[in-house]
Amino acid sequence: MRLTPLLASLLVAATCTATTALALDLGAAAPAFSLPGLRPQDSKTTINLADFRGKVVYVDFWASWCGPCQVSFPLLSELRNRLVKDGKPFELIAIDVDKKPADGLDFLSEHPVQYVVVSDPAGATPAKFEVKGMPTAFLLDGNGTIRLIHQGFKSNDIKLIEAEVQKLLSEK
Amino acid sequence: MITRATKTLLALLALLAAAALLSACTPVAAWERGTLAKPEMALTPDPLDAALHDHVYFSKEASSGGNSASGGGCGCN
Repeated sequence: MRLTPLLASLLVAATCTATTALALDLGAAAPAFSLPGLRPQDSKTTINLADFRGKVVYVDFWASWCGPCQVSFPLLSELRNRLVKDGKPFELIAIDVDKKPADGLDFLSEHPVQYVVVSDPAGATPAKFEVKGMPTAFLLDGNGTIRLIHQGFKSNDIKLIEAEVQKLLSEK
Repeated sequence: MITRATKTLLALLALLAAAALLSACTPVAAWERGTLAKPEMALTPDPLDAALHDHVYFSKEASSGGNSASGGGCGCN
């Protein structure tokens, strides 16, 4: 009977281990979303992912309290602006998951960007995308298929992201 | 008179009940960690200060390992 407490403890431990859903796989269709803009210039209308069909889209989940996002914003902004200026069918949608949208706006005042920024304080969209860490980005091709999932961000990562974006742009 | 076997069974049942109740354990989702990310929620509010304390500790105790500060325990580094 000595093993009984041990087995029971294991049972407790196993039960406490929360089941975590697997992240969306590459090749899966990106879940649709329709979200309000965060800044005054974004909030005239809701932003639908479906409206960007035909473009390579980088969907970036971020928050004001996310340290690596401070690194990613200027680099992603430079990449996005350069590609758009060159007339490439590319867009970046940043989804702010801050509970208080004002926190996201404070962040944007320090790290201004020209791309679309939407707000999802309820967290429904990151749940649909099964986001595992902040930041997480999903690179979608023109059909809305997930082609790259990028978790975290270091300054060197922008090279890999640009290479993948250019690859998708050349497929078109 | 409660026998030993009955006691064990009761203990097991209590653990099973606890296990059933704890099934609601759930991790904090990545996008819900705003409060946890605040500086005041850090285990060590000042990492440099904590590293210095660790260094003094292992030097005095002639021990090493388990802490974030480096050194061999000789107190000379």
